[in-house]
Amino acid sequence: MSSESSKKRKPKVIRSDGAPAEGKRNRSDTEQEGKYYSEEAEVDLRDPGRDYELYKYTCQELQRLMAEIQDLKSRGGKDVAIEIEERRIQSCVHFMTLKKLNRLAHIRLKKGRDQTHEKVDAYHLQLQNLLYEVMHLQKEITKCLEFKSKHEEIDLVSLEEFYKEAPPDISKAEVTMGDPHQQTLARLDWELEQRKRLAEKYRECLSNKEKILKEIEVKKEYLSSLQPRLNSIMQASLPVQEYLFMPFDQAHKQYETARHLPPPLYVLFVQATAYGQACDKTLSVAIEGSVDEAKALFKPPEDSQDDESDSDAEEEQTTKRRRPTLGVQLDDKRKEMLKRHPLSVMLDLKCKDDSVLHLTFYYLMNLNIMTVKAKVTTAMELITPISAGDLLSPDSVLSCLYPGDHGKKTPNPANQYQFDKVGILTLSDYVLELGHPYLWVQKLGGLHFPKEQPQQTVIADHSLSASHMETTMKLLKTRVQSRLALHKQFASLEHGIVPVTSDCQYLFPAKVVSRLVKWVTVAHEDYMELHFTKDIVDAGLAGDTNLYYMALIERGTAKLQAAVVLNPGYSSIPPVFQLCLNWKGEKTNSNDDNIRAMEGEVNVCYKELCGPWPSHQLLTNQLQRLCVLLDVYLETESHDDSVEGPKEFPQEKMCLRLFRGPSRMKPFKYNHPQGFFSHR
Amino acid sequence: MERAVPLAVPLGQTEVFQALQRLHMTIFSQSVSPCGKFLAAGNNYGQIAIFSLSSALSSEAKEESKKPVVTFQVLHFSLAHDGPVYSMVSTDRHLLSAGDGEVKAWLWAEMLKKGCKELWRRQPPYRTSLEVPEINALLLVPKENSLILAGGDCQLHTMDLETGTFTRVLRGHTDYIHCLALRERSPEVLSGGEDGAVRLWDLRTAKEVQTIEVYKHEECSRPHNGRWIGCLATDSDWMVCGGGPALTLWHLRSSTPTTIFPIRAPQKHVTFYQDLILSAGQGRCVNQWQLSGELKAQVPGSSPGLLSLSLNQQPAAPECKVLTAAGNSCRVDVFTNLGYRAFSLSF
Repeated sequence: MSSESSKKRKPKVIRSDGAPAEGKRNRSDTEQEGKYYSEEAEVDLRDPGRDYELYKYTCQELQRLMAEIQDLKSRGGKDVAIEIEERRIQSCVHFMTLKKLNRLAHIRLKKGRDQTHEKVDAYHLQLQNLLYEVMHLQKEITKCLEFKSKHEEIDLVSLEEFYKEAPPDISKAEVTMGDPHQQTLARLDWELEQRKRLAEKYRECLSNKEKILKEIEVKKEYLSSLQPRLNSIMQASLPVQEYLFMPFDQAHKQYETARHLPPPLYVLFVQATAYGQACDKTLSVAIEGSVDEAKALFKPPEDSQDDESDSDAEEEQTTKRRRPTLGVQLDDKRKEMLKRHPLSVMLDLKCKDDSVLHLTFYYLMNLNIMTVKAKVTTAMELITPISAGDLLSPDSVLSCLYPGDHGKKTPNPANQYQFDKVGILTLSDYVLELGHPYLWVQKLGGLHFPKEQPQQTVIADHSLSASHMETTMKLLKTRVQSRLALHKQFASLEHGIVPVTSDCQYLFPAKVVSRLVKWVTVAHEDYMELHFTKDIVDAGLAGDTNLYYMALIERGTAKLQAAVVLNPGYSSIPPVFQLCLNWKGEKTNSNDDNIRAMEGEVNVCYKELCGPWPSHQLLTNQLQRLCVLLDVYLETESHDDSVEGPKEFPQEKMCLRLFRGPSRMKPFKYNHPQGFFSHR
Repeated sequence: MERAVPLAVPLGQTEVFQALQRLHMTIFSQSVSPCGKFLAAGNNYGQIAIFSLSSALSSEAKEESKKPVVTFQVLHFSLAHDGPVYSMVSTDRHLLSAGDGEVKAWLWAEMLKKGCKELWRRQPPYRTSLEVPEINALLLVPKENSLILAGGDCQLHTMDLETGTFTRVLRGHTDYIHCLALRERSPEVLSGGEDGAVRLWDLRTAKEVQTIEVYKHEECSRPHNGRWIGCLATDSDWMVCGGGPALTLWHLRSSTPTTIFPIRAPQKHVTFYQDLILSAGQGRCVNQWQLSGELKAQVPGSSPGLLSLSLNQQPAAPECKVLTAAGNSCRVDVFTNLGYRAFSLSF
């Protein structure tokens, strides 16, 4: 057995012994506290190394004693027992020592463990502190990293500009080129510098403005002081104006009145005045009607409200009486709807022959359309032929100034809905009273209505009015002149005289035998029912806006009926003739090629009959041409050999040939200076 | 409410003028292109319009047959002559048109490409006259490749199409000539004129061989209508002519009228078609006659009077085999078979 193994075994023994010993000690603890503490203190006093020596020695002693006992026992003998007893006592003492040492070792262990614990705690605490410190530092670092400087929000001039403009003591190119931080600093410096300069400038400007304001103030004062002086001068100049026929003041007054015009009439007034000044000195523009009434329209509604409530109350009383007469209320409503603005614009268009076209433009406030009433006055009193009844009547004189513009229908699509409410079927029942709402009138007033789509906001537009002014004015003049010319021609035509003027004489031969015997108006319906006008009706040339006439030309037994469609656009649109000859049977364009050719001569070749511009003599010339054509037709009619007796119409006209071409045309073309007839 | 008047659309100046021009238009002449797919028509304003028969007759066009006027296609429209275009014929490449004094040639191929430049123009040697005489009839003589022109100067001029020179003049008529017809077998030409005579010319000798003064025969004379012969057609020994006198079928060798067709209106165009005679004139109808004089059918057209008929028998375009008729209107009626007017082409 080695010493080591014994050592190992011993602590076991000690431990197994120790446990009860401890229990004993615990018991003794309570009894002998002082002793325990002394042992505790004793540990500190003793040297563990010496204790270890002591332990070694004790163990050796015990081994020796055990060996001696064993030796003695094996020898046997009486004294042996004593010696063994002695040896036992000695070993007991040694055991005691061992016990003591064991206890001490325990205490020391405990102490050592306690001491280590303390140290670990301290270290742990230190670790905690350090970790915390690390975390804090990390936070600080991220905070620093996230830091944004204010300068980043400032808009800086670009780098190139900076190096170009900044003075070198700020830019310091050699330093800042490589160092972006320095560079930024330098740029910020430059920015500051610039801003300082601008602030300086701003201050200067402000003071400048202040100065100018003061100047303005002074000048205003001067101007306001000027006004009364000017007024007095104006007042003084009035007699001079009157004396010199310079109606500046009147014009001024008119402009003052014009301010109260509704927008469309205002547009018309301005544009017409402008046109009159620029292009047509004979055009006179005036405003009629009561300004006060117009002003009243724009009064704040409180007065009228009072009135209304009053009248309402009255009405409540009266309605009981009036209830059965619902039609009266509807009538009032209609009247209200068709109400005109109290002001109207008068245009007087003077034509060359001193006849004047008076146009009065009205504005229907609730319908937002303009209407016009026309009147023609002439220099001389006119004898009104029966057939000219419609020519100059206010109702029709301006009809179809532009194609299809008959002025009987409201141009504003929204109106139809308004009419439905009050039971007006169509505006045409009221046009005589209100005037005609022609499309061109709306355009002159700058009103433009989109087709087929009611629209609430229709604004008066100057440019629209201006673009239509010139053409419309010219058309109006032409219309009046052509109507007057027609009027004159009709007066002669009714008496069977075809009034060919001297400058158109060359169009016809000197001797014309056929005579116009009748010139009458016919109704549209009657025209449509004539058997020889079907072609014209089918071609859409017989609208109800046209005027219709019937002419009868006679020569001997031959009677030529001519149905005439007079387009309101005469003379740019020619009158259209349809013929029916009664001579040896009835001949129309469907059974006689030459009748068809005669119609073509007046209808298609009308341009050579126009005469001098503006060709107002066209109708007369066409009728005279028809007379000539009839002469040619009758004189060249082939003579029937089988019939006895002389020809009814001997050939007097000089003709190169009688017939020509597959359809055996007669020589209808008149050649002026030579005076013969040839084929076209 | 506003009274609704149909067709009473308000018209402006140009529209009115155009409407009047159409209303007074007369289509004097027609000619089918050598390919058979196109039809040229000339009117009294000197305009020639080319209509595409093939597209107007195609099945796609028929779907819109409710509006027949729209189906036509005017390929070419130009002011060709100053005066009316009285007569037109087509050679295998050219369209020859004649009116006031001159004959003009146009290339079909170029016209279809809308090139409207005339190829050449020729004027026959007229004796002097104050008025330039018109050309009422053109006749191609394929055997000698020449063209015969006749009209206002009462003579027949023969023009060699190869060289464009006028080779001979046939004199004899005392008034202007309305119409010409070629006898297929012998080189003989018939001409009819205002003087009431039908003259038969031998082209080889350039002599008049026969004269029939129609108005002198009591059977067909109608003095109230005049003497003039307006139309003429021939088939071997038979000849049919009409105009002032009644439409009559003549046996040429015996110079006797065999059949007098009972129609009052003067006829302006007549032609043989198979065993029928087609004629048209004053009145709306195209008349179809049996040789015996019976009226087989009267097919109404859209014009109040007809001046020309054209049978498109070009073998190149069998689908366009139609009869077209034109006259005192701006429309050319198209008859897809003889008994039925399918639609009208319109200027």
